[in-house]
Amino acid sequence: MSTRTEDVDLVGDETAINLARAALFAALVGAFAYVTFPNPVSPVSVTLQVLGVFLAGIYLGPVWGAASLVFYLAAGGLGAPVFEGGSAGVGVLVGQSAGYLWSYPLAAGAVGAVVHRGVDLRDPASVSLVTLAAAMGLGTAVIYAFGVAGLAIVLSLDPVEAVTVGAVAFLPAEAVKLAAAVGIVRSDAIAAA
Amino acid sequence: MTLAYVPGDSLAHRLDPRSKLVVQGGVVAAAYAYTTPTGLLALTALAWGCLWAAGGDRRDLWEYRFALPVLVVAPFVAGVALGEPWFRVGRAVDTALAGYRVVVVLVVGAAYVRSTPVRDSRAAIHHTVPGTAGAVLGVGVALVFRFLPLVIQDLRSARAAVKSRGGGRLPVHERMRLVAVAGVNRALGRADRLGAALAARCFAWNPTLPALAFDDTDSLALALGGGLFAAALATVL
Repeated sequence: MSTRTEDVDLVGDETAINLARAALFAALVGAFAYVTFPNPVSPVSVTLQVLGVFLAGIYLGPVWGAASLVFYLAAGGLGAPVFEGGSAGVGVLVGQSAGYLWSYPLAAGAVGAVVHRGVDLRDPASVSLVTLAAAMGLGTAVIYAFGVAGLAIVLSLDPVEAVTVGAVAFLPAEAVKLAAAVGIVRSDAIAAA
Repeated sequence: MTLAYVPGDSLAHRLDPRSKLVVQGGVVAAAYAYTTPTGLLALTALAWGCLWAAGGDRRDLWEYRFALPVLVVAPFVAGVALGEPWFRVGRAVDTALAGYRVVVVLVVGAAYVRSTPVRDSRAAIHHTVPGTAGAVLGVGVALVFRFLPLVIQDLRSARAAVKSRGGGRLPVHERMRLVAVAGVNRALGRADRLGAALAARCFAWNPTLPALAFDDTDSLALALGGGLFAAALATVL
């Protein structure tokens, strides 16, 4: 029987922790798909996934926040039940939600970049309310711009029709998530950040 | 019932994950290139064939029921016009066909999910995406699979705790905040323990993964995927 030797290329401690955090946040965004809340203006209930995208940007920063959402998309495409209603598979990534999903890494990166003003992390609790709101407003704009464009392409709709189907019923709920996210960051409730 | 990997010995289970990804890519390309009744009929037969080859049936598609409302509503929104003729049948049919192609792609995706274990998907990423990026993506994906059930459990218990303390009377954003704070705190706690454990156990960029190899059946699958891509490309050129 032959033996084989290989050099082990170790991962640094800091990278290991960042990678673990990014993966856990990806799992959290997936788990948020299972928690639904009533939508204030529509019978369609809302999940907390977009809140997860905001929080990934805020707590992991632009680089690892975006990486986290790439893990989320890849895991979902390869079969982890992390998409809406616990669905999975490559089909979802090219289906009618494609635009929203593909925008998540960009949105997390944008939120992280605004909150941390670059790639070096700072304490999110010290960030001003205006910056937080602006960051998440930008994140929401990115998600809905991609989401509506995706709907228009995938379902052959014109822009007004796509906005009717894909944004009007959901945007008011985003304001509620934004308020929740501000509450989370400003309340010092997150222990390990 | 959740769509998930089911151990088995079907044709799709024996295929290399990379060939299955190529076939899926081919079906997606073909579905977008041939969004016609005939094209989608042929692709429907192919998609069911894929699901059948993975030992699956229509029960595997139950998880996709959340896609239905938008797919059903969209043709009506597209068809309605503010003036004569009030409803444009042609536009509605176009959007209905576009919606149906999403269903076809979902069926093929279900076949992959049913027949491919996480370890193989991770190895496929590691072999396909070059360098550190592939290693990071592979580890990240494997960890998401591993921790998702635990994080879902964390959120459910947080939600039950909020409810049992009369949280139902709080405004929605306050309930969201309480559940999310519990979720983020537990996820960060798990991540830090996991990070320390990984560092203590010689976590490396070059792990030992299952060996992947193409065989004769894979050449057929690759030919099928390649053929679909070529057919899709032919409509563009």
